[in-house]
Amino acid sequence: MLSRLLSLQQADAAFPSGSFAFSNGIEGLVAGDPAFDTASLIRTLTGLVRFRWAESDRVALILAHRAAPDPARLGRIDAAVEAAALVEAMRVGSRRNGASLLTTHVRLATPGADELRAAIRSGPMLGHLATVQGALWRALGLSEPEAAAVAGYQLVSGTVSATVRLGQVGAIQGQQALQAVLPLVAEIAERPVPEEPDDAIVLTGFTPLIEIAAMRHARADLRLFAN
Amino acid sequence: MTDVTPANAARIGIGGPVGSGKTALIERLIPVLQARGVDLAVITNDLVTKEDAERLRRSGLIDPSRVEAVEAGACPHTVIREDPTLNIAAGDALEDRFPGLQLLIFESGGDNLASTFSLDLVDWWIFVIDVAGGDDIPRKRGPGVLRCDLLVVNKVDLAPHVGVDLDGMLAEAGRVRGGKPVIATNARAGHGIDRVADAIGRAVLFAP
Repeated sequence: MLSRLLSLQQADAAFPSGSFAFSNGIEGLVAGDPAFDTASLIRTLTGLVRFRWAESDRVALILAHRAAPDPARLGRIDAAVEAAALVEAMRVGSRRNGASLLTTHVRLATPGADELRAAIRSGPMLGHLATVQGALWRALGLSEPEAAAVAGYQLVSGTVSATVRLGQVGAIQGQQALQAVLPLVAEIAERPVPEEPDDAIVLTGFTPLIEIAAMRHARADLRLFAN
Repeated sequence: MTDVTPANAARIGIGGPVGSGKTALIERLIPVLQARGVDLAVITNDLVTKEDAERLRRSGLIDPSRVEAVEAGACPHTVIREDPTLNIAAGDALEDRFPGLQLLIFESGGDNLASTFSLDLVDWWIFVIDVAGGDDIPRKRGPGVLRCDLLVVNKVDLAPHVGVDLDGMLAEAGRVRGGKPVIATNARAGHGIDRVADAIGRAVLFAP
């Protein structure tokens, strides 16, 4: 039961992690599509989960969960995340989000948090969000499926929250969209992740519309979110 | 200021409503604090642009690499209170880059009277209002006005032009704050800036 409650704490939007400042490409999509609505949001969330998170950040998270607290192995997982993130705003955003999450855990004295921060400062690690989540949540006692469920939930709930704050869907419409994609998150979170040797960590994702929108967003003069 | 270098930079916040003069106050504080030997950097939380950060970077007052912008995700409250981790991490990164840093100034995005800083983020904070916003602002007892360590009432030169009884406004501000400090400024003209710098020095920099 305790690990379940700890999972809820980590998934809670009230847990300070910096995630509120990242729209995961939504602000760029909305800027290019004034008719973006609840159905658009469901399609976008489905694409983010199925075509990016499932085989990239989720896999990195699980591999990091197994690798923790080995900074060398975590660093190689980080390098794979870095290589798989085409858009600079997403790549940098992932590292900033990881650093912010780690800030809270260092202050909470989560086991291993200090060592993770030292590994990022001294070089072996880049500190991508998925890698940091995997390492920290293992230290807190979350299982691999629990960690995947929390990360998947945060991705979709955070993206819904950003869309609501952009005024593009209502708060209840946002929850409709969230409910619509949770079964997909649940199914993917339980998929097995085979162990990969250091030189063969393959993370894949293909979400071209979101990535083009995020690149255009990065050059916009007016924006509320970091990506 | 003294020659004592703290182990970590002191962190202060400057918040307040849109247009009250937060950036102008920082522009005036930078040279005054630098003249007193304070090694400082600034982090801005612009709401929709990086305009405040760019204004400071281009001001010629401070090395542009000592100014960082942190996005607020449409939530100026959140980034300084409920979830200040992006700001904390940006401050940590500046401290790593500039090991002698003594003072980090966090400028909030323009907000409303309910805006307050988390003490996870800052050691001490200023709330800036201005006379053109109306002399009833202190009477409304917003959390920003009541809870800040120092209330700055800016643009005092405008008082006669906007029908504000400045002495009455300052007296009311002191009353609702239970005697906690209030300083009147005209940031554009540099009036009152030394007193604000004195207050910062006494509060977080071990100045006499």
